[in-house]
Amino acid sequence: MDQSVAIQETLADGEYCIIAVQGMLCEGDSRQSRLLGLVRYRLEHGGQEHALFLYTHRRMAITGDDVSLDRIVPVSRDFTLEEVSPDGELYILGSDVTVQLDTAELSLMFQLPFGSHTRMFLQEVARACPGFDPVTPDPEFRWLSRYRCTQLQSQLPTPHGWNSAPGTWPGCARIGGGRYPSRNGLWGLEEARSGAGSVLFGGGAVDQTGLRLAEVARGGGPLWGRSGRRGRRDEEVEEAGREMSAAAGSRERDSAGNSHFDDLRPNGKGLLVDQSSWGQDKPEDLLPRQNKSKSEITDMVRSSTITVSDKAHILSMQKFGLRDTLVKSELVQKEEDYTYIQNFRFFVGTYNVNGQSPKECLRPWLRHSVEAPDVYCVGFQELDLSKEAFFFQDTPKEEEWFKAVSDCLHPGAKYAKIKLIRLVGIMLLLYVKEEHAAYISEVEAESVGTGIMGRMNKGGVAIRFRFHNTSICVVNSHLAAHTEECERRNQDYKDICSRMQFCQVDPGLPPLTISKHDVILWLGDLNYRIEELDVEKVKKLIEEKAFQTLYAYDQLKTQVAAKAVFEGFTEGELTFQPTYKYDTGSDDWDTSEKCRAPAWCDRILWKGKNITQLSYQSHMALKTSDHKPVSSVFDIGVKVRNEELYRKTLEEIVRSLDKMENANIPSVSLSKREFCFQNVKYMQLQVESFTIHNGQVPCRFEFINKPDEQSYCKQWLNANPSRGFLLPDSTIEIELELFVNKSTATKLNSNEDKIEDILVLHLDRGKDYFLSVSGNYLPSCFGSPIHTLCYMKEPILDLPLETVRELTLRPLWTEDDGSQLENPMEIPKELWMMVDYLYRNAVQQEDLFQQPGLRSEFEHVRDCLDTGMIDTLSASNHSVAEALLLFLESLPEPVICYSAYHNCLECSGNYTASKQVISTLPTFHKNVFNYLMAFLQELLKNSAKNHLDENILASIFGSLLLRNPAGHQKLEMVEKKKAQEFIHQFLCNSP
Amino acid sequence: MYPSASVDSGPSRFIYIHLYPLHQIILKQISDIISSHRATMATAPYNYSYIFKYIIIGDMGVGKSCLLHQFTEKKFMADCPHTIGVEFGTRIIEVSGQKIKLQIWDTAGQERFRAVTRSYYRGAAGALMVYDITRRSTYNHLSSWLTDARNLTNPNTVIILIGNKADLEAQRDVTYEEAKQFAEENGLLFLEASAKTGENVEDAFLEAAKKIYQNIQDGSLDLNAAESGVQHKPSAPQGGRLTSEPQPQREGCGC
Repeated sequence: MDQSVAIQETLADGEYCIIAVQGMLCEGDSRQSRLLGLVRYRLEHGGQEHALFLYTHRRMAITGDDVSLDRIVPVSRDFTLEEVSPDGELYILGSDVTVQLDTAELSLMFQLPFGSHTRMFLQEVARACPGFDPVTPDPEFRWLSRYRCTQLQSQLPTPHGWNSAPGTWPGCARIGGGRYPSRNGLWGLEEARSGAGSVLFGGGAVDQTGLRLAEVARGGGPLWGRSGRRGRRDEEVEEAGREMSAAAGSRERDSAGNSHFDDLRPNGKGLLVDQSSWGQDKPEDLLPRQNKSKSEITDMVRSSTITVSDKAHILSMQKFGLRDTLVKSELVQKEEDYTYIQNFRFFVGTYNVNGQSPKECLRPWLRHSVEAPDVYCVGFQELDLSKEAFFFQDTPKEEEWFKAVSDCLHPGAKYAKIKLIRLVGIMLLLYVKEEHAAYISEVEAESVGTGIMGRMNKGGVAIRFRFHNTSICVVNSHLAAHTEECERRNQDYKDICSRMQFCQVDPGLPPLTISKHDVILWLGDLNYRIEELDVEKVKKLIEEKAFQTLYAYDQLKTQVAAKAVFEGFTEGELTFQPTYKYDTGSDDWDTSEKCRAPAWCDRILWKGKNITQLSYQSHMALKTSDHKPVSSVFDIGVKVRNEELYRKTLEEIVRSLDKMENANIPSVSLSKREFCFQNVKYMQLQVESFTIHNGQVPCRFEFINKPDEQSYCKQWLNANPSRGFLLPDSTIEIELELFVNKSTATKLNSNEDKIEDILVLHLDRGKDYFLSVSGNYLPSCFGSPIHTLCYMKEPILDLPLETVRELTLRPLWTEDDGSQLENPMEIPKELWMMVDYLYRNAVQQEDLFQQPGLRSEFEHVRDCLDTGMIDTLSASNHSVAEALLLFLESLPEPVICYSAYHNCLECSGNYTASKQVISTLPTFHKNVFNYLMAFLQELLKNSAKNHLDENILASIFGSLLLRNPAGHQKLEMVEKKKAQEFIHQFLCNSP
Repeated sequence: MYPSASVDSGPSRFIYIHLYPLHQIILKQISDIISSHRATMATAPYNYSYIFKYIIIGDMGVGKSCLLHQFTEKKFMADCPHTIGVEFGTRIIEVSGQKIKLQIWDTAGQERFRAVTRSYYRGAAGALMVYDITRRSTYNHLSSWLTDARNLTNPNTVIILIGNKADLEAQRDVTYEEAKQFAEENGLLFLEASAKTGENVEDAFLEAAKKIYQNIQDGSLDLNAAESGVQHKPSAPQGGRLTSEPQPQREGCGC
């Protein structure tokens, strides 16, 4: 999608968004999407300034209302935007491009999407940099003043400020929000356990577990649930650290992601620009260079321009040029479909005027045909032989001869001058009938001087143009003189051919040469002479009008025959006597002392299809010069457009491009789109996988958020990977991982949430696919409130779902009125089962609550509790102990209710007051608390065996029974201490 | 560190250019054609000046995707699978001499995706609301689709009602007249069309575009307003027109 349009809407007059790209602004751990627009402002006095506008935006910004300006970074002299690459690490195919933006004031890091659009963006920015040329004035950016107030609001933070940006990383929500640990985390736990087991009795074991305990106390979770989560977090933090350091090319890993940006910058300023190349407007010269040779840079440019990977992308590029170019090239290919040939009459004349001014009327030359020509191509040589003309390129003769020609054009029509070009004495004039002027386009004129010092009045001028659909090039050349300089003349011709280059309308296209035209008309004083015959013999043959015989000795004829010059050109038969050299003012052959032999110096040749020569002659009547003028009239078949057919062809082409564009919209096939997760259990991972098979267009995919949702899927679900890049025809396997934990279980029990979701798989610039997730959740005592469980006399899985739902939704403070339900239990039977089991089996267990349990055993414990099959329970004491901790952690309302939390902390240390607070708890909670304290005191009686003491138990249970209502924020040490102390009192004092 | 150096040496982001020989070849061909063509075409703006966003909505199986396909490809997709998601199609059309790029979003019709597809309505300039003339239920649901369309788009969004499958006259279940009346009562454009034969398909998209363009012309659709669904493309400056001013002469004559 072309988001520069949205940006454009927010801009003022005179500001133009050249290109926009969506990227991630990386600030510390935070990743925030930004739209980066490169904005150009044309100054009134000429010149232009650029700035990078950063916007926050809605997904797929369409209009100006979807974006809001965040900050503006003027592209000043100290502005650099450079790609930073992971140092020493392999590039990941299709990975984001990390770029570093630096100015004197700030330093930002972005991740831009992989692909040619980003490439183009970087190139455009590089072009926009003002460079270091001292001649150009420093950009002032006055035009940005209207935004200044906006910018003040978002005053640029110092680089240090960003590093501490708290919790803005989107990932935080997932981690902090109690998402389940990754499978790695879970498995890691088992490994940890077996690892610990092997050193169970080792000297270091106690220290180790002690350490773990401290962690548990801090994090407030039972051992392995916690460690699973930790695993995940560490993983991510490390990943972030790696990304950062990799992106910055720094080998130092800072796992906390707190490194300073300044340190991360590879080498300060990087965007050095070759000053010498600054004047030329070639993108390749404007690219930043870093200690690279010119050729290397050219290579880079080439490789980066090829990165345009697919036509769809080309077509959707915000630079329209390419679509236009494609249409044009198709039009050229299909030209025959919509054009027909129509003849037009061309007059072509050449006259070497020997430095003279026009003294006589040119009518005999220009107006000899009956019919008025459609086009006049009139060339002169030796217009002005003065030194002034040569050195100053200025001569009054130009105007004189132009007027002389204009006055003598055919009276049968009105003519428009299209172009005049002159190089010293070589001048070419192009006129067309007025009514044809509208069909003349792409007129370009160029000149080429040939020869070395002393013969610089030779060379050629040319006008190229387009007449209807036919491209025509007219060349007027004056080649080297003297009979013996035949080779020189050939060389002059070749030089003109190779050096005559016309700019194209599209500056991106290579210049045109003479040969790339449908019709070429070449006229001029070509200076080829008659060889091998002495002067008298020549004159005699001329007198006999034996031009055929004489022609055999013509150098041009022999050189063309030898393919040494004018290859592919045609010349009409010479039926007139040589046009050189006469005594000025007469028809007499040269009588000067040099006594030059007569020669056909002045010639007209052509190349191309559908050209008929009607006449080829000299005009003896004109005597101003020592040459006679030559003229030729042609009928030239020009391709004329049939407008109706043209429109039709154009429509077809546009349609086919549309088709191509549609065909190149990224598209994938999915092996599966419906996912059913049966009998999902608490904390039991279920995985369904599917494959994405890409079509022929490389694409980037991502699961995207639905409107008004924080995440692309429900909390209990995760797609892995949730985004990525696909090469054509490649596949990737995506795993949908479903895991219900304490933060999602309660709502699933109550049916407020269901195992139902729709995921939107979005392809960048392409389609969206919906994936349906369904299934059912088996309610569990884990995640159920205490009072709910007290009302459940049956195992939870034996109850109808409706009853579970009802009981789960029952408010905490409804005391039983005894009418609806039988007497509730005093404490949840599940709690009793676990405590009883431990009481019977584990009071003397060493390191109880300090060794992690087994995952498989937990599942067994959970199933036994939920089905009431407690008799079949057989698990290690550690696993049951851990299940107990987990049960307490999963309670949606902790044993000491949230509302009593602060009271408890306040009266911690005052046992009487503490007991008072406990007595205010709802009955079931009070019961549970007292029951647990009794059990813990029982354990302490066996401390000699189980190595437990009040401090250990207080630290484990303090954070489980007392939980901060604010949620998962890190508890302050003081609070933790107080919570422990609170529990500690109850362990030391008998009730 | 700009694009890492050579294609062949060392780990490079640009290694992947090897993977797209086809695209390269196409590009090469294009540039060859352009650079070598004998006649450069006169400069003409072949590009569009507006983008209109359309959405196609309606019950499952009424032929939304087929209409889109018929419009973009001029072909009938015989066994078109249900759209489970959102698909796109574009085509450039001409209205009153203006080139307009239609960007058409074809949405899933299934009820269960309704909540998600609603999020695609935003910013639509035109909505094609489709029912199947052989299935009355699809017609009966129109009011609910219309409610969505009205609530989720801007007041100027042009809604066109399309009775698809007009080729199945024998199985007709909804008369032209009643649908016409429904359309009139609700201020909708209306056409019966057939994605199979192509009848009226072109017209349906064009009629809506004409109406939108008309709204722009008479000012009732404010392009600067939020979510108008229309993007205006300022035409890129075009150079190279006929000039008769003398060109600055080139100095270099080899001295």
